[in-house]
Amino acid sequence: MKKKKVIMVTMTIILLIVICYFAFQFVNQNQDIEDAIEQEFRSLRIYMEEIYAIEFLDDDRAMVFYSWAHPDFSNFGVMELEKTWRGWQFVEAISNRMERKNAWLKGVYAEITDHAILRGPTWASVDKIVIITDDGREYTPELGKAERQIWYLILEDEPFEEATFILYDSDGEVLREEVLQFDLNS
Amino acid sequence: MNLSLKYRVLMIVVFAIFIGVFLYYYGTKARQEQAVAEELREYSYIAREYALDAIYKSTEFPVEVELYPSAHTEAILERWKAISDRYPELDYPEAAIEARDWIEVHKSFEDTDLLNGVIRKMYKDATVTSEGLGVSYITLLDYIFYQKYEASNIEDVVIDLGIEPSREEE
Repeated sequence: MKKKKVIMVTMTIILLIVICYFAFQFVNQNQDIEDAIEQEFRSLRIYMEEIYAIEFLDDDRAMVFYSWAHPDFSNFGVMELEKTWRGWQFVEAISNRMERKNAWLKGVYAEITDHAILRGPTWASVDKIVIITDDGREYTPELGKAERQIWYLILEDEPFEEATFILYDSDGEVLREEVLQFDLNS
Repeated sequence: MNLSLKYRVLMIVVFAIFIGVFLYYYGTKARQEQAVAEELREYSYIAREYALDAIYKSTEFPVEVELYPSAHTEAILERWKAISDRYPELDYPEAAIEARDWIEVHKSFEDTDLLNGVIRKMYKDATVTSEGLGVSYITLLDYIFYQKYEASNIEDVVIDLGIEPSREEE
């Protein structure tokens, strides 16, 4: 009689654990990353923000490119999120101040966790950017569009201190060429 | 159930300890969360006002945020120093700025009466009228932090006082 009771209780506990596990899995699978991002902004006490792009590095790592602060959204942020058993969680964030005023293009170099990232604002009329470094490497950064526009490049090889940026419009015409310098120590 | 008194007392004590630990844990956690929220709010405010670059390493307890001046921060500090040089009652906390203790730095702007006094003096010295423009310490803060000239004629004042170069020279 007593043995039966013990087995019953143990079974119930195991069943509950299994149900909890699947419930967590279910909630996690269906968690909208945008809700998680929204929540992180709230906890960072960042209001008035604009999201340009969400880049998935793999299934459970994501980088969010955004800018924030009233009135001109001049603080450019990148936030790394990781998917854990508790859902999407904050890993690290970096915010750089860059003013768009009268500039075709701005950019900074930043390191976040183990990634090197170049990014900055550019005009909305820019449709494509080609970066050429002094040692002849060529990159095509991604463009992130919201009400305004940014460019960003997740570097997989050696960072560079200076490069020429060629800006194209949607007809493939060169709009402008700019040389940007990057401080690799910041 | 036929339990001895000793056993019952033991159960009650264990139960009470459980509840005690539980309440203590949640109480501490709630206070901690509030402190974390307050701290992050302050960092976000200071980063925005002083145009700082920020690295957020941890947004949970203990909060870990590093702030670094940007080129725009230097411009803010220059405007601030130029006014403070002429009106020393407006404190320019060199040591705190050097130490990058921005929260301490910002305490210089706590006394709005003092700021109102400075802006009034500026208008008086520049012999520019502020009549009907609703000039207040906010005009001064707008100028220092955002170089904002609108809604007042502060631009005439700072040019007249030699704090900014005149428009033709630009």
